[in-house]
Amino acid sequence: MSDATVYVVDRVVTRPGCARKFIDTYLAEYAPGARSRGMTLRDVLVSPPIWFDDQSNTLTITWSMPSAQAWWEMTWKGRPDPTLGPWWDTIGELVMERTRSVAAAADDVDRLCDV
Amino acid sequence: MYSVTRLLDVAEGASHRVLAAARAGAAATGARQQLVEPTLPGVRNGGDILVHLRFDTEDQWRSVETDFAATLTDPTITHVNGACYSGDASRTGAQAGTVYRALLLRVLPGTDTRIVARFEDELRLMPRYVNTIAAWQLSRVAEPVGTSEWTHVFEQEFSDVDGLMGAYLMHPIHWAVVDRWFDPECPDVIVRDRVCHSFCHCDTPVLG
Repeated sequence: MSDATVYVVDRVVTRPGCARKFIDTYLAEYAPGARSRGMTLRDVLVSPPIWFDDQSNTLTITWSMPSAQAWWEMTWKGRPDPTLGPWWDTIGELVMERTRSVAAAADDVDRLCDV
Repeated sequence: MYSVTRLLDVAEGASHRVLAAARAGAAATGARQQLVEPTLPGVRNGGDILVHLRFDTEDQWRSVETDFAATLTDPTITHVNGACYSGDASRTGAQAGTVYRALLLRVLPGTDTRIVARFEDELRLMPRYVNTIAAWQLSRVAEPVGTSEWTHVFEQEFSDVDGLMGAYLMHPIHWAVVDRWFDPECPDVIVRDRVCHSFCHCDTPVLG
């Protein structure tokens, strides 16, 4: 089993005009706790790169962790926190839809699967 | 097959006595397979003693249920989680496992049946990718016992403890695919209650 960087990707389609407020709230309220769980913020991408006031934006927020073990340690710290899941509900008014996925670099896939 | 799984929380110092009583009770049931073992370090909400019985039919269990329940009335048994369920196991190869594991979980009431089916399909994918699973069974619970109204039991025989704590945990099929159903941060989450993750040694095949 080899270490390979693991990425957690939040893809958020914001309600029209809400992209900037979502990012500000996410960075102020969510990011500090994520960092304390061992996550490193890599990117906050805005598509299209315009602060629309009457249309949705798609945000792609990428975090990294140094290994699958680190991913588990992140979850083991986060799962017992009863406020973490509900936090996403509190910003629901800014969000039309969202997904969270876990990814790795193509070159690391074989190593990650060789457990 | 009709299966009965019980996870016993036992007061400190009483494990040996309860273990002996539970083994005697299990033997008296005449179950086709009987496993009564102390759980291993690393269980989560998994009890101190794991009991697993497999009967050919539900009627066989019902005929001994009351007597077996009486063996679990020791006051040092502080809590019991468990389930009764039907189903057959699948073996992935000739090799028998040395560690039996049971996961009890509760899917949120009202979850769309198509979502539940997709969740179950993804759990069934795991043995295809995790080669330390010697046998497995995914079952819907007929009769839950304990903290939650458990809806599913996911059982495996693993090659050894490393096969469970290493390969099973660390394969991407687990953390990048299946875990999202359990992750309160993911919009796909359908298992919010604390699960029971319990495992113990097994000297002979338990599943099937």
